[in-house]
Amino acid sequence: MKFGKRLKQQIEETFPTWRDQFLCYKELKKLIKLISSALPPTKYGKAKAEFVYMLNNEINKFNVFFMEQEEDFIICHKELQQRIKTVMDKWSSNGSRTEYTDEMAEIRNDIVDFHGEMVLLENYSNINFTGLAKILKKYDKRTGGLLRLPFIQKVLKQPFFTIDLVSKLVKECGNIIDEVLFPIEEDKEETKEQKGAIMVATEPVKGIFRNTVVALLTMEEIRRVSSTKDHFSLPPLNLPHSHLIHSFQLNSPIPIL
Amino acid sequence: MEARPALSIQRSGASQLGSLGVSGGLSSSLSIPSTHLEGTYQKLPDIQQVPSERELTTRPQAHATRVPTNNGVVGHIFSSSSGFSSDLHYSSVLPNEKHSRNSPFISQSLADTASLPLSQSSSSLLPQPTIPSCCNKENSGSWCTDPDFLDFPVSTPVQSGQVENIQRSEDFSKQNDWQEWADQLITCDDALTSNWNELLVDNVTNLEPKMACQVAKPCTTMPAQNQQLPSPSVESLRVVNPSSSANNAPAKPRMRWTPELHEAFVEAVNQLGGSERATPKGVLKLMKVDGLTIYHVKSHLQKYRTARYRPESSEGSSEKKLTSMEEISSLDLKTGMGITEALRLQMEVQKRLHEQLEIQRNLQLRIEEQGRYLQMMFEKQKSGLDKLKVSSSNPENPAATSDATKEAPTKSELESSQRDHLDSGTGTVNNAKSMLERSSREMGGEDMATEAGDLEKTKARVSETSPEQAAKRSRIKE
Repeated sequence: MKFGKRLKQQIEETFPTWRDQFLCYKELKKLIKLISSALPPTKYGKAKAEFVYMLNNEINKFNVFFMEQEEDFIICHKELQQRIKTVMDKWSSNGSRTEYTDEMAEIRNDIVDFHGEMVLLENYSNINFTGLAKILKKYDKRTGGLLRLPFIQKVLKQPFFTIDLVSKLVKECGNIIDEVLFPIEEDKEETKEQKGAIMVATEPVKGIFRNTVVALLTMEEIRRVSSTKDHFSLPPLNLPHSHLIHSFQLNSPIPIL
Repeated sequence: MEARPALSIQRSGASQLGSLGVSGGLSSSLSIPSTHLEGTYQKLPDIQQVPSERELTTRPQAHATRVPTNNGVVGHIFSSSSGFSSDLHYSSVLPNEKHSRNSPFISQSLADTASLPLSQSSSSLLPQPTIPSCCNKENSGSWCTDPDFLDFPVSTPVQSGQVENIQRSEDFSKQNDWQEWADQLITCDDALTSNWNELLVDNVTNLEPKMACQVAKPCTTMPAQNQQLPSPSVESLRVVNPSSSANNAPAKPRMRWTPELHEAFVEAVNQLGGSERATPKGVLKLMKVDGLTIYHVKSHLQKYRTARYRPESSEGSSEKKLTSMEEISSLDLKTGMGITEALRLQMEVQKRLHEQLEIQRNLQLRIEEQGRYLQMMFEKQKSGLDKLKVSSSNPENPAATSDATKEAPTKSELESSQRDHLDSGTGTVNNAKSMLERSSREMGGEDMATEAGDLEKTKARVSETSPEQAAKRSRIKE
């Protein structure tokens, strides 16, 4: 139930509007249990059909949600670029520094949040894929079926898992932020710890920063050495500065994990 | 008739439905009017039965012919649903039954089968757990959107269209479709992969016309529809491919937008005087993109308008507002931490997540690729060995069979070698690799060994070297 627990936590922490969009991992597990225990082997055909139906439903749900978000991102990306251009054009010649800074600051906030949201969508995609892979593995294991391989091949091509566009947008966004909006500086580790903890503590629940931290820690947890490793399993995650990210929880009144 | 006992097994202790066993005693029960049997059949799979309109009042109470179920026959029925009806046809129990008599049976049972996939409806093969709303979302509507994948689009038209048809007209042709489809699905596992592929191909080509709504094919790229589009290259246009002509369903057609398409959209909107002035129809006309419907444009325009006039909540996630200006400024007051620093920290965490996700995804892709490759090799090997077995004479047989049995242990060797590797890190990479190579060579695939070795290397790299990369990065920054 490890993944299930992690997924549940992730869902609890995520944006309210996203909460229904995740994989119904627990229910699918229950279904597998039912299939393997309640049915004589002769009925597997129909049960499998039903199971696949449910999976397809889930995939459909992911696709719809993902494409919707992607569309929003495309629009927003363009808009932000437009805004930056406008502000730069407006103030570069007139030279009113404070106004430029103020407007840029606003854009900067928005663009950082935008970046964060896109990354969280990538995370959404991935965690659902991981869940599907695990469910399929369980299915094969409990029912002796061979559903996993062909099914997962199809999943790989689904819109919700083909995130090239979103990934590209994230990178572009990151570049804009780095080059245009942020001077390059590095904080010391200790101050980072404090700041991170404070951010987590004072952010409203389900904020982007908190969400991102949760996602990272969840990923780390999921990839810890598990009991059922096979050649389809991911190796443990080696998260750089993991201790730093973990430390963000220290002062948080609301524990993350 | 044998099917009845089979179905009664489904219901735990639902033996009140009676099991008209395979016996001569059945002949009396066969004189039951067919509607009676229909009623029984309809009830059978509905374990969590919501009192549905299909539930008839007649029940076979009169026939407490609790003939002990003939499990052999029973087992037969559900090995495949084609066997379902064919068993009925062939059953010795109904030798004198006219075809027409069977048909209500078949039609009802198939109707039940047809309604099986309905997760929302009560009928189910299994006592179903209550599926929460999250699983039922957009069930019927968006079903149609992507038959590109392993899908049962048939189930949607089946459940609405076919069921009625069957019930009304006992149309055998539809049943045959169903049987064929079910046949394809519910075949023995050996042929599974190829069958799935066939099914998928079939789905894409055959079932689309049946689809009641438009299909989104995000992966297909349309050839250039027009030359007036400002910048996008031909290949990057990803528009809905409405290969199904009918568009009856109320379901919203799902489409995958691209930046290029959006740019064309913006161009068109600007030409029409801005987002407030532009109409969906006008934009659609101006864009001249094949496959783009007014619904797409309409919804996109709506989003566009929202984005322009309320930039903070453009993604529709109003919670985002809370994390930006207000929060950061309150942070500022509390801690003296600059907004900039807070944002920078946020960026760092976000970038980290993005990076890790990318790595993870690539790894997942490679793993699945590997798995597929291995599977192929196993199958090739297996078929090769089978041929050997068949063609070889006795003295050679022991050798052949021993090769075959070697397959199983070598596979587990592979698994265990990978497990070892993952647990203990770089130290065992070489061991694992050599083990892999040895085992896969035994199976006759040298390429596979190198593939496996490569993947192990990648996994090792992922686990061990990312801190190095991070260290490098921070050094560069300084």
